[in-house]
Amino acid sequence: MSRHLFVLSNLLIVLQVFLLLFCFLDLSVLPQLVLFAGRFHPVVLHLPITLIILLVPFSIYLQRRTDTDDLSGIFDLVLHYIALISTLTALAGFLLAAEGGYNQDSLVFHKWLGVAVAFSTHALVYIKKAFVKNTIVWNSAMLTTLIVMVAGSHYGGNLTHGEGFFAFKQDVKPTITIAEFTAKTTVYDGAVQPILAAKCMECHNDQKTKGGLNMKNLASMLKGGKSGSMWVSGDPDKSLMIERMLLGMDDQKHMPPKGKAQLSAAEILLFKEWIRAGANPTKTYHSLAVTDTLKTIITSIINTAPVEKATKTYSFSAASASAIEQLNSPFRRILPLASNSPALSVKFYLKEKYDLNMLTECKSISEQVVEVNLSNMPADDKAIEVLSSFENIERINLNGTAISGKNLGLLKSNKHLEQVSLASTAVGYPMLDALGAFPSLKKVFLWNTSLTEPEMAAIRKKFPKIHWDLGYIPDKNELLKLTKPRLLDEEKRIYSPGELIAFKPQMSGVQIRYTIDGSKPDSLASILYTKPFPVIGMMKLRAISVSPGWKTSDTTDNTFFLKGFKPDSIRMINEADKQYKGQGAITLTDLVKGTPGNLNVNWLGYRDNSFKIGAYFSKGEDIQQILLSTVESIDGYVMPAKKIIIKGGDSPKSLKLLKTIVPEQPKEKRRRQLIPFVIPLDKKQYRYFEIEAYPVNVLPKWHPGKGDKGWVFVDEVFFY
Amino acid sequence: MENQEKQFRLNVTRRHFLTKAGLGFGSAALGSMLFKDQLFGADTQSSLPLGLAQYAPKAKRIIYLFQNGAPSQLETFDYKPLLNKMHGEELPASIRMGQRLTGMTANQEKFPLVGSSFGFSQHGQSGAWISELFPNIASIADDICIVKTMNTEAINHDPALTFFQTGAQQGNRPSMGAWMSYGLGSENSNLPSYTVLLSRGRGNGQGVYSKLWTNGFLDSVHQGVVFSSGDDPVLYLNNPEGHDKQSRRDMLDQLAKFNAEAFDNFGDPEINTRIKQYEMSYRMQSAVPELTDLSKESDNTIKMYGPDCLVPGTYAANCLLARKLSESGVRFVQLYHQGWDTHGNLVNDMRMQAEDVDRASAGLIKDLKQRGLLDETLVIWGGEFGRTNYCQGKIDGANYGRDHHPKCFSIWMAGGGVKPGMVYGETDEFGYNTIKDPVSVHDFHATVLHLMGINHEQLTYRHLGRRYRLTDVAGQVVNGIIA
Repeated sequence: MSRHLFVLSNLLIVLQVFLLLFCFLDLSVLPQLVLFAGRFHPVVLHLPITLIILLVPFSIYLQRRTDTDDLSGIFDLVLHYIALISTLTALAGFLLAAEGGYNQDSLVFHKWLGVAVAFSTHALVYIKKAFVKNTIVWNSAMLTTLIVMVAGSHYGGNLTHGEGFFAFKQDVKPTITIAEFTAKTTVYDGAVQPILAAKCMECHNDQKTKGGLNMKNLASMLKGGKSGSMWVSGDPDKSLMIERMLLGMDDQKHMPPKGKAQLSAAEILLFKEWIRAGANPTKTYHSLAVTDTLKTIITSIINTAPVEKATKTYSFSAASASAIEQLNSPFRRILPLASNSPALSVKFYLKEKYDLNMLTECKSISEQVVEVNLSNMPADDKAIEVLSSFENIERINLNGTAISGKNLGLLKSNKHLEQVSLASTAVGYPMLDALGAFPSLKKVFLWNTSLTEPEMAAIRKKFPKIHWDLGYIPDKNELLKLTKPRLLDEEKRIYSPGELIAFKPQMSGVQIRYTIDGSKPDSLASILYTKPFPVIGMMKLRAISVSPGWKTSDTTDNTFFLKGFKPDSIRMINEADKQYKGQGAITLTDLVKGTPGNLNVNWLGYRDNSFKIGAYFSKGEDIQQILLSTVESIDGYVMPAKKIIIKGGDSPKSLKLLKTIVPEQPKEKRRRQLIPFVIPLDKKQYRYFEIEAYPVNVLPKWHPGKGDKGWVFVDEVFFY
Repeated sequence: MENQEKQFRLNVTRRHFLTKAGLGFGSAALGSMLFKDQLFGADTQSSLPLGLAQYAPKAKRIIYLFQNGAPSQLETFDYKPLLNKMHGEELPASIRMGQRLTGMTANQEKFPLVGSSFGFSQHGQSGAWISELFPNIASIADDICIVKTMNTEAINHDPALTFFQTGAQQGNRPSMGAWMSYGLGSENSNLPSYTVLLSRGRGNGQGVYSKLWTNGFLDSVHQGVVFSSGDDPVLYLNNPEGHDKQSRRDMLDQLAKFNAEAFDNFGDPEINTRIKQYEMSYRMQSAVPELTDLSKESDNTIKMYGPDCLVPGTYAANCLLARKLSESGVRFVQLYHQGWDTHGNLVNDMRMQAEDVDRASAGLIKDLKQRGLLDETLVIWGGEFGRTNYCQGKIDGANYGRDHHPKCFSIWMAGGGVKPGMVYGETDEFGYNTIKDPVSVHDFHATVLHLMGINHEQLTYRHLGRRYRLTDVAGQVVNGIIA
């Protein structure tokens, strides 16, 4: 026997004696430094496991060989080391257990099985020597050791990772789920316990009672731990639990320990307030006043709870970020449903950018795609073929696409398909039977297809589990009013000879009827608008829209003016009021009409002075008519002129009176309107005209400003 | 000059730096669009991974039909027969409890209660009481969730609107849509992720201002983009005459080069925003015409929204456009319909306003539903506060008016994970105070964010030395209305 082996086997005997002693002594009295050696238990424990497992193939290898002499020495040495390391592991295990905090039931099995492994590996050393030729005895001894080791490891695993660690189940991470508060839910059950379960019970449970504390239920908590009771009812400041929670992160005694999920400020506050309120386990949430601090905290915590609930989980894994990035473009957007979700939605934009390839390329992420939106894209039946390969797809939007619907049956292979939108497509009744057979289909949208109501009723009856949506069907008895005809140029009121008035196109089937003499248009007798038409002099255009099945529209009411001769110069003899100066004299011939609604622009206003201008034509046109465009706004004290005087001559110095007009004044309040005065003249050529219009100097009795001065407003003067 | 430039560079904040660093390897790494801000872990502005829902969202998109001016709850969804019984009698002090009043009625000597002049009846399986002004909304009673107990802190339009849109009365904070764009990113990069549509009813109107769709301190890509109400919703989108698509492309490429150079020199992230916006506008040249082409709308669509939907700039047309934008992946479509400020002449004004919005609002819900989109789109209908149960001024025969009331008012929501066919909350018989399940504006925001898959406490942005949230330091998810 070599010296090496001699030392080893004696050391083994000594250590095993220690192990035997450990089995019967109370080790917790040992000094901390010695106990600390126990922390190496988790460091070394995997060595005996590995070595004992490896022993089996090594031993089989040796038995199969004939020239084993040189190797059997090594085998012996290995056996010694296995025994040594097993014994050391067991010793360390005893020291670790002495520190406490482990469930005694699991610990007992683990402890004795561990000791058994240490002794039996030692025994193997001697069995090997004693039964050199008897492989049966050796093999059974070796296998027994292996089985004992596996059993011991299993209980050790339970201690560390909790029972059921090896049971197959998902959702290992505890999350706080606070159920809805019913009238009977106590604060303890509804809020305190769920938080403890999520953040404390990992170490304080039946298996693992760190610090001797078990938080399984209220009774076990009331027992407290090694350091004493968890709380002092009514006094959070003296409660150990709160103290530990509030200690600094680096403090050894901070709870939960560094590295574990920490409590939020709101959660600590909740425990504090619960203890302050007496830690009453029967107090219900609904019995708390609205203003109660505890209630406020709970409410704020509950309000964050649905966050966890809302996320649907998928079993497939996420696509690679590079695959997504490669496909993403402004015309094909791929987005995860949420930041932590592997599920993707794909949506296409811009008709002109779409082709089938855009969809086919998405096959690289076909597992992850749960939503495809092709709405309004020129996608056809080939798209359906591609979509049928997206195994996890749930929602498909094909509204407004060019599909025929004939091959929709292909989507039957999409086992998770829940919703198909087919509005505004060519899909018809015969193609729907195929959809009815889909395994998880819930909703089908068919608005604006050829489907009739009886067909819809039939399909609903046939497949009642699916929600078939035909959408809005207008009530035939309800008559809606059409919109007024709209002019193509909504601003333009003054037209040159040859320029035409046009209406904007109406919806199909709608006719525009109009009059140009100011009379009320009639849906049958008035002129039917077929093409644009010219302005004749001053024209009062009134138009309506008519269509069978609709109410006739309101009347569009506008006055148009033909452009006349433009004076070579025009001057103001009296200045307009400071507030309503417009652009000066040019306002009157700029061919921009003012509107009755806004007297601040394009209008000249007069109150203290009369409106008085001079217009000069160097050539002396053949002017037969003057048109003075004014406005009336009763509320604004703007009335038709009291009197209009036209004078004519070759120069301002030689004028003669051509016309005097006394306009009719309103008798009562009426709506704002344009008041054009058409003033016919004698057929005589003049180079110079003077036009004067007097404002009403005393407003009539019925007027809200009776007795006050009135205004006169002019926006344009035409010479024809 | 050199010194100035140094100064500027020193002023470049960490955010600027990070954004810039991100641009360097962002395109090579996981993908700039997908997980852009996760690269920087805890050092980013928000504690959330941006650009994605935090957990599976119930709603992917929002259409907010804002009824600007504050429609009266007492003529819409909060039926109070007691007011008709006590018509003309004084509002008991025990009900008012010293509630502050606006300058418009604070000096009023009497506060005569006034009952609704419109009839109410029950609709749908939920038996929700809905005013006769809204026959079409009544027809979708089983699809909507009416919240009768909204309350706000503000009593005047501007602060109340600002509060509703940004979570604070004072302004300068990002609005809801900007937060959504920031938190969830864009679904469709060919369109802005936050668009705004405006319309004006015939009732007494209140203004809307661009501060309501501001990005606040967030990056300006999150700003709401207003689609104008004319025939051409996005102005200057067409290429100038004589320029084809290719020359526009070449011009933008060249411009991007210059901008990239400028960014290298100055490091201002707004330059990147500009580059991105140019690119988006280029793609919008194709995307927008697809949306605004109404010529292919079926007769049934027109009947569903009402014929007004063919007239650009009307509420109905905006509802139809909102559906199309939302269908095309715009995260947040914000409508404002003005004209609900019924201080006087309420009877007539309410009738006209209801006429404008009833059919189109209901039509939008029906349209989303029949396309299978309602369950992923959250539609919200409501104003900035409610109206008083007493008359502003004196009751004038059949006519009356109502002042602003912040303590309870009704809104409704549909789709997007909200319980359909339900009425939430209870107000007292006077329609003045809440007696059960109050919902504050912060709660409303928290709930909407929750439905979009975001924890409102975690969507934050650090600015001026502290973290900001849409819900400020308040807000609780209203679990009672979540399906």
